[in-house]
Amino acid sequence: MNKFSLLLCGTFLTLPVQAQEEPFQTVITPAFSPVTWERLVNAESEPENWMMYSGTLDSQRYSRLDQINTDNVTELEMKWSYQIPVIDRAETVPTVVDGVMFITEAPSNLTAVDARTGRVYWRYDHELPEDLRICCGRNNRGVAILGETLFMSTLDAHLVAIDARTGNVLWDVEVADYEAGYSKTAAPLIVKDKVVTGIAGGEFGIRGFIDAYDPVTGELEWRTYAVPGPGEPGNDSWSGDSWKTGGAATWITGSYDPDLNLIYWGTGNPGPDWNGDVRLGDNLYSDSALALNGDTGEIAWHFQFTPHDVHDYDSIQVPILADIEYQGSTRKVMMWANRNAFFYTIDRETGEFLEGEAYATQTWAQGLDPNGRPIPTPGMAPTYEGILVSPPIVGATNWYSPAYSQQTGLFYVTSFDGEQEFFKRDEDYEEGERFTGGGGRYNQPMDAFHSSIRAINPATAEIEWEFPIMPRSSAGITTTAGGIVFTGSADGYFFALDAASGEELWHISLGARVHAAPMTYAIDGQQFVTIASGNVVYTFGLKED
Amino acid sequence: MGNLTTQLGRLLTLALGGLFLAKGSSFAEDAGNLYNTNFDINAGLKYFERQCSRCHGFDAKGNDETGAPDLTSRLARASSEVGLFNIIRTGIPGTAMLPVAADLPDTQVWQLVAYIGSLSTDPANIDLPGSVASGASVFTNKGDCSSCHMVDGQGGRLGPDLSRVGERRSPEELLSDMLNPHTDVAPRWWTMRVTDMDGVVREGLRMNEDSFSLRIMDEELNLWSYPKNQIASFERVEASTMPSYTQTLSDSEIDDLVAYLFSLRKEN
Ligand code: HEC
Ligand code: HEC
Repeated sequence: MNKFSLLLCGTFLTLPVQAQEEPFQTVITPAFSPVTWERLVNAESEPENWMMYSGTLDSQRYSRLDQINTDNVTELEMKWSYQIPVIDRAETVPTVVDGVMFITEAPSNLTAVDARTGRVYWRYDHELPEDLRICCGRNNRGVAILGETLFMSTLDAHLVAIDARTGNVLWDVEVADYEAGYSKTAAPLIVKDKVVTGIAGGEFGIRGFIDAYDPVTGELEWRTYAVPGPGEPGNDSWSGDSWKTGGAATWITGSYDPDLNLIYWGTGNPGPDWNGDVRLGDNLYSDSALALNGDTGEIAWHFQFTPHDVHDYDSIQVPILADIEYQGSTRKVMMWANRNAFFYTIDRETGEFLEGEAYATQTWAQGLDPNGRPIPTPGMAPTYEGILVSPPIVGATNWYSPAYSQQTGLFYVTSFDGEQEFFKRDEDYEEGERFTGGGGRYNQPMDAFHSSIRAINPATAEIEWEFPIMPRSSAGITTTAGGIVFTGSADGYFFALDAASGEELWHISLGARVHAAPMTYAIDGQQFVTIASGNVVYTFGLKED
Repeated sequence: MGNLTTQLGRLLTLALGGLFLAKGSSFAEDAGNLYNTNFDINAGLKYFERQCSRCHGFDAKGNDETGAPDLTSRLARASSEVGLFNIIRTGIPGTAMLPVAADLPDTQVWQLVAYIGSLSTDPANIDLPGSVASGASVFTNKGDCSSCHMVDGQGGRLGPDLSRVGERRSPEELLSDMLNPHTDVAPRWWTMRVTDMDGVVREGLRMNEDSFSLRIMDEELNLWSYPKNQIASFERVEASTMPSYTQTLSDSEIDDLVAYLFSLRKEN
């Protein structure tokens, strides 16, 4: 069997790694050990673990594991599967710490399993009220961990702290009132000694925010509203009182740069989604990237991708942070393939726009101006009769995690070239009721559209290669030092592409829609790769001889 | 003065002698009510309100006019869940208490059982001799219960989380839990003694066991997972690791603990 030392030969392992000085003791060690903030900051150098939603604080979803690589990926076989008992589509990205895997389940449950066998240690079932307000299924995407405590969002808009060894509830706090349309689905993010978390409910006229909680007591430390209140800068970008129901939900996990002490977080559509007449103005900070001070939550800068959005182009994408060569020097950037079909490279210190290009079919904008602000195509706003626009409501991409490879320097995104008829409706706001002001309709069968995994060069915003998929994908992506891009598709495949060329290396039919992102980890020198499909979590590894 | 401890103590001797528990618990040979989640209790409540409340009242407290008794305190005709099930299923011959419709699924009858069961442990209906505040203090201090048990996130991990134990255990059961911990130990709290191929023995609480593997937590709270075909042997100890407090705590301390434990419920 391959040993971990193999992994250490990887060209990209330059940092000394404490955890790997004695990589594999013959003495058996118990599973699980506490996750300190230092471990989270250096998560990259512990590739045997996957300790947060996006793998590392920069959210690259790039693993240094290379035991499974372009030469042997065809040797993958299923090692175990875990069936989630409550039927719904699984959007979970499991977390692995020293041989224990934490899997979130529909509706808001959590299970700890042995990462080698998929067999259960404990379960936590969260009690939910019957009258939940949720837009898009009973999902949960993952947990955050600090010390020996797991933090999970729940559909009734609570944040719960759960003991990683037993599944006992340590605290359970209400983040917002579910009866007013708030819910929670995303994995929180640990930032130093705080649990940072967002909120969902953009289809219910909520007022979005990003919160930080004390991990020990569950007390709220700060809240930053994604829609500024009266007297705050940006409040005048909303006509009348429209800011009160302005949406800008924060329903996917952000990223953090420890050197700049900045948290990066995306915000969703303004409310109501498709009728902009009742909320004239740019509608800050909807459809934006926010950079927040890591201690206070104060907004350091913002970049609004889609001012006055009327197409539901949420900027709910995971921000990927990397230091890249840009015009002759190393630049700290943030890369973002937006639901609005444009790809952006932004200076993450200042929020300055560097590069931007459409990476998928779009008709709503004529292009981006020198500051990265879109130049809208006239007459593309939804009408009462309906008007055809690209990308459709689901977007050119959506919440599914993109990835970045340190080997290739490329950014990978699941992209969709579709179009849809957009409608506008007049709707009054009623607390706890849907507040969308319209909707959409496809005029063609899904199979008529084109979808692909696209690899983008962040220094130029140019597409380097694409791999077509049918008809669509809502899977996230993970890259590895083995030169692989792992992802899945809506027609039930899990597959591996060559990260450099986009060539297909391996695929397997799992039979049900892949609605989650893969992750990878190792135990005793053996690398595994895990993906949720349908209601099942599958784990693969190389055949052992 | 009626000391709950001694009164219940007598009952318990009977119960543990193999006869019956005062209430809320079923006979040894039945698997117990499998439909007793909050969802089931709610479903039972809904059915009760439609079909039973006209005689027993919406609060189930009975009605002199119809002669239907109070169902929230100890029942005269049913001492177990199975007994309660049978009354609802077959009625009480010769009285206004008629059987439920023959085609009503057993599941729904069990949900009624769960609902009625939930009424009798309503803390408002039960007057306990002990003091909640003193019990809380015994729990963390003299009794040192918190070295093994968590309440609201504080305490140990070598016993069940007791944050909501008042919802699932009656005062009688709580008393028995402290005095006779070795009866009815849930499999999660059995001890597994594993001997690996090198002869190293490791002991821990049984977190999970299946056909091919088992998982334990040892005294240092370490988690271990073993494939059964990679260990030399394992032994299952079905006794509790919790000591009995008959000798170490006084009757009044035990009463206080019962009152405290019974008060532990989901807030609001
Ligand atoms: C028409 C009136 C009536 C209705 C309807 C009715 N009951 Fe009764 N119930 C009675 C009466 C009267 C008695 C007492 C019989 C006796 O022991 O003399 C009784 C007794 C009982 C007892 C036994 C109480 C004890 O002390 O042991 C239970 C349990 C019970 N009912 C449950 C139910 C349930 C559950 C329903 C609904 C499915 C229901 N009843 C519907 C009239 C009614
Ligand atoms: C050495 C660890 C330990 C200590 C100390 C301990 N317990 Fe326990 N306790 C357990 C274990 C293990 C169980 C589960 C097995 C059983 O039912 O006995 C348990 C079960 C219980 C239960 C039943 C819980 C349920 O959900 O059914 C109660 C109540 C309880 N203990 C109360 C106490 C009290 C009160 C004290 C202090 C006076 C105490 N325990 C001290 C380990 C302990």
